[in-house]
Amino acid sequence: MSVSEVGSGPSAPVMVLLVEDDEVIRKTVAMALERYGYRVSAAGDGLAGLESFREQRHDVLLLDVMLPGLDGIGLCRRVREHSQVPILMMSARGDALDVVSGLEAGADDYVVKPVDTSVLVARIRSLLRRASFHPVSAQPAEPGPGVATDLVFGDLTIDPHGLEVRRAGEPVALAPTELRLLLEFAANPGIVLDRRTLLRDVWDYGWDGDSRVVDLCVQRLRKKVGADRIETVRGFGYKLRR
Amino acid sequence: MRRLLNWRSLRWKIAALAAVACCAVALAIGILVHKATFERSMSLGRERASVQMQADVGEYLRTGVAPDHTDSQRIPPALVEQANSSGQFTTWYDTRNPDTPWMWGAQPVHGRLLFVQMEMGTEARDLRALDRHVLEYSLAVLTVVVPLAALAAELPNRRLRRVARTARRIADGDLDARASQGGRGGDEIAEISVAVDAMAGALQERLLGEQRFTADVAHELRTPLMGLVTSTELLPESEATELVRDRVRALRSLVEDLLEITRIDAGAERADLASVPLDQVTEESVRRAGVPARLTVTGDPFADTDPRRLDRIIVNLVTNAHRHGRPPVEVTVSGTTIVVRDHGPGFPDALVVNGPQRFRTGAAERGRGHGLGLTIAVGHAQVIGGRLTFANAPDGGAIATLHLPADDRS
Repeated sequence: MSVSEVGSGPSAPVMVLLVEDDEVIRKTVAMALERYGYRVSAAGDGLAGLESFREQRHDVLLLDVMLPGLDGIGLCRRVREHSQVPILMMSARGDALDVVSGLEAGADDYVVKPVDTSVLVARIRSLLRRASFHPVSAQPAEPGPGVATDLVFGDLTIDPHGLEVRRAGEPVALAPTELRLLLEFAANPGIVLDRRTLLRDVWDYGWDGDSRVVDLCVQRLRKKVGADRIETVRGFGYKLRR
Repeated sequence: MRRLLNWRSLRWKIAALAAVACCAVALAIGILVHKATFERSMSLGRERASVQMQADVGEYLRTGVAPDHTDSQRIPPALVEQANSSGQFTTWYDTRNPDTPWMWGAQPVHGRLLFVQMEMGTEARDLRALDRHVLEYSLAVLTVVVPLAALAAELPNRRLRRVARTARRIADGDLDARASQGGRGGDEIAEISVAVDAMAGALQERLLGEQRFTADVAHELRTPLMGLVTSTELLPESEATELVRDRVRALRSLVEDLLEITRIDAGAERADLASVPLDQVTEESVRRAGVPARLTVTGDPFADTDPRRLDRIIVNLVTNAHRHGRPPVEVTVSGTTIVVRDHGPGFPDALVVNGPQRFRTGAAERGRGHGLGLTIAVGHAQVIGGRLTFANAPDGGAIATLHLPADDRS
């Protein structure tokens, strides 16, 4: 999993890939993020973005939705074919279609332009926190590779320490947000978690957050861990089935 | 079941129509048969009387004695009169005693009247039995025809109900709803289905067009604005920078408000309802508004609402109170009612009466502002099924009251 790569060295700068066609935004966002200590590589269209994503390791992707050539949603989908790197979409339209297709394509979160750099940085930090997520172990140091601590839900096995998820023995590749969401469910087995709680605990949003990010992430998670595993409780939220 | 018992339903009207038609046909046939049968029995009676008369006349001529088998007391005077004036064989149907009607015959023979009297009771009873049968069979047919008609009316009824349901769904915003049930019959119901579908289609096209336009406008406005926002963040701190940033903030909030109003006006906004603890949301919104305000909550209020829209409403109301009124700004939550009040000059009268108007802050003393905040608040309140009212306190100060629909669970 690429998750553990993030923040592997305490001083290693976080690499951000910014794909944005508007030159002013591209330059100013890159400069602003660099002031916050990020290292930014920028691309002006989707194909260039894909190329630079393949050439170099990045810790987080910042994608505009409307891009010439390969658009942000297509780019997101292409990236997700092989990588679980955190993806933040930026949409200038902010309407349901853009947001929903971005999240469906595998983005972890979205922001609507114009966005303050401080907000952008906060969202990126939240994404990176999820990506480097290590649950604080309740147990003391384990004697060995703790098979006994694996959480089992039907054919699904979750190793909360090694952050590995297996379905019927096969490893499942989960994006950081999906993994974080699954662990949240696993920590509350059989308990219904409402959208707001998930939005707060997984995405760091308050009441102003968009609950669609939860719904769409649950949808993506279902595709990977089995549709029946996560049950919808109408009007309330979701729960993980044992 | 209630629908079945609705007496104004088309089903029962059609059944009643069928019943009336059946009764009319039965009545017409009944009358015709009654008349024909009656006439036939009359002519039979007359013939029997005439045969008897011929026999009597023969006997009288032969013997000179008139055979008398009539009840001479009851000879109808009108018959005597008619026979005398016509001088021929004359008959008279006597119904003076309805249970035993008689057919009388009279014939003048050599200045004397001979009478015959035929019993017609059987014929009369037969006729009455016939009438009764017609009535009975008509009623029997009705008990079959009325339910059948009601049942047959169910099909067009169902199609009509489907059209009504579709129209309601369209009104509720589901523009993908269609009434056509695929090529059945070229009747009026099919016509109204097609008309409703055409209306929905036209509405949808227009709405989609407007949404597309709004989205495009949003993109075109936000892209340069984002460049502006991030560039000004990079400027070195100075008094001039602060001025520029302030204006960029103003421009940004104006653009966002305008886009928001356009989205609300397009009618495309849908509430994302959830059971929401009002105290938490209000507290967070007041904090987000970033201005000092006093929050009072009574009880443990919950509402079925869209927290993002509620947040927008509260932030806008509190910001507006702070900008145009005077502190302290007080926010009170009790039940599903949220009140925001300040202690300034109050809302202008026109706003209290007509509600907020775009780009009109009403009075000079209420200061600057583009007046979109309250319009947006009203729009969001409508989307979440609530009501936002504006009033002034008697001791001064503006009061905005948001009534939310109650939580289903409480």
